Amino acid sequence: MYFAGVDIGSTMTKVMIMAEDERTCSQVIGPTGAEHRRLANKVMEEALQQANLPFDEISYVVATGYGRVNVPFADRQITELTCHAKGVSSLFPNVRTAIDIGGQDAKGMKINQGNLVDFAMNDKCAAGTGRFLEVISDALGIKVEDLGKISLKSTKKVEISSVCTIFAQQEVISHLSEGTPLEDIVAGLHDAIAGRVVRMVKRLKIEPDVVLTGGVAKNVGVVRAIRENLGCELLVPEDPLLTGALGAAILGKEIVLKALAKGEAIPRKGRRLEEATFFN
Amino acid sequence: MAKESKGLTKVKEIYQDRPRRVKELKAEGRKVIGYLCAYPVLEMMTALDLVPYRVLGNMREPITKADACLPTMVCPFLRSSLDLALKDEYEFLDGMAMAHICDVGERMAHIWKTYRHYPYFYFMDVPHTVHKAALEKFKEEIKGFKKSLESFTRKELSSEKLKKAIKVHNDQRTLVRELYDLRKPDPPLVSATQVLQVMLALESIPVEEGNELLREVIDEIKERQEGPQKQAARLLIWGSIIDDVSLIETIESVGANIVMDDICVGTRFYWPEVEITQDPLDGLAYRYLVGIKCPRTCREVISDQTKKAYAADLENRFGYLKDYIKAWNVNGVILQSVRYCDTHGYEVPAVRDYLNSLGLPNTYLEHDYSQGSLAPLRTRIQAFLEILG
Repeated sequence: MYFAGVDIGSTMTKVMIMAEDERTCSQVIGPTGAEHRRLANKVMEEALQQANLPFDEISYVVATGYGRVNVPFADRQITELTCHAKGVSSLFPNVRTAIDIGGQDAKGMKINQGNLVDFAMNDKCAAGTGRFLEVISDALGIKVEDLGKISLKSTKKVEISSVCTIFAQQEVISHLSEGTPLEDIVAGLHDAIAGRVVRMVKRLKIEPDVVLTGGVAKNVGVVRAIRENLGCELLVPEDPLLTGALGAAILGKEIVLKALAKGEAIPRKGRRLEEATFFN
Repeated sequence: MAKESKGLTKVKEIYQDRPRRVKELKAEGRKVIGYLCAYPVLEMMTALDLVPYRVLGNMREPITKADACLPTMVCPFLRSSLDLALKDEYEFLDGMAMAHICDVGERMAHIWKTYRHYPYFYFMDVPHTVHKAALEKFKEEIKGFKKSLESFTRKELSSEKLKKAIKVHNDQRTLVRELYDLRKPDPPLVSATQVLQVMLALESIPVEEGNELLREVIDEIKERQEGPQKQAARLLIWGSIIDDVSLIETIESVGANIVMDDICVGTRFYWPEVEITQDPLDGLAYRYLVGIKCPRTCREVISDQTKKAYAADLENRFGYLKDYIKAWNVNGVILQSVRYCDTHGYEVPAVRDYLNSLGLPNTYLEHDYSQGSLAPLRTRIQAFLEILG
């Protein structure tokens, strides 16, 4: 049997196809863009091609992420909070706290034996999300991917006092004009985003093991800054973007196995592999 | 003239056009007094043939005028209600009965007086504690309220009239409990959305008409076949005022039945009855100051900093929730408040501690009192329901 997890985030869409033994058959990451309704099936098709599987061989599809309601071929939609908790637990069995920093949101999850037990979310304010780094790197004229290694060169990070992304941008520009070294500014920004996220997650009473996921986890500077702010070890998976889709696929497997154990039919709801329209 | 609608159809009509009835009554010569919160004594207004009318906001109406009169950190509910007043939506009122409800509500009283000029305006101080001295002080305050109403209507508010009014209002409270009993079965016989519409309708029409409406509604619900579907989650909703069905609808549409509440248009407003005392003012003062369980009233009595003392204090403040949870078979609580509501925001940690001590899953949603703020809540609500399993 094969299971698919489709994670439509605000910035990136991730699909993972998994076999019953939880071996990854294929994984695809692509930008969500403005037309995510039209996109989910295309990314799914790519994943199926990579795995060399027809759509009919997928036993169950779980959709997650903010675009999860626009996946007509999904059998179930489950929030990214539950899916991330499941995905992270399969990679790090001792995880108690997971932090996910996405393109436009940040989440803290409290986990007990693979299950979500509590959560905190920020999806209102760009500061503390990937968007913050995008805006600032734009203002600095550097690529987002380079931010991390630049910040590691810093010996004296600056203090960014603004809570708002736009005002932080202003602070950055005035630092630049004063001749502050770029790496110190970038380190300060990483500290700012780390501080915000950790403050939000602290509402959950942080317990190790702590795992960081999401696109921003690929930034070594942010990882370092979060470690400092947390004051404890921080684990990062090899593919920090895929834990949502992974968790979704695992949950699909759990749903199917549970139904089969009870002698019930597999509770499929998904239709054909097609793009979402407004009449779904 | 169209056939007079009844029961839930009538409730919906009232909900969609709340001032209609009081405007009709005004045309007949009745006087309408607006109030913002649960503290102005309704019985006194009813006893003098005044029609009490609950002033609310409108979360679907963008705030355009109130910003010029208010600082930033005023909760959007009070901001909206003032905005509507400034847009002349409350010109049909003959007066406002204001009280010291919360800090912002207290200031609001004076701001309303500045911008609206009603024939009747009264401000009542409400102590924030329930000690003996506070109760005595509050009795003096409602005495003052009574005198002001007598002066406005040029009628005497006799003990007898007051006792009659107390009975009618107590009858409504009994009927509301009967309605809420219909939420105990699984699935509940009526959705929280419809119950909220009933509550808001009751707060827009005279008490006797409300009682008749309640009897119709209760019978209708008992007889009808269509009601909510069974859901795994049976929730209690706690917190700030909810004066629009959209938040409730959002929660129920994600896949839950809200079977009980602890909000001021629901149980806080209706549960406490007025005890019939020799001097009716005693029963009234007690019911309004001590009976109404709102966080704006402080009941903390921590004798020391031990865990035991804290647990005892929580039980004293929130034990009534345990009774609701048991009787309505609640398996999860959603705490909610509007942004800037200090009254509820500061209370949340203690309520959550109490619910956690009962082993009851709970989550806290802060919202902006606007249609747009509801969509992000869906994910949180759904995740909470996924935790409930």
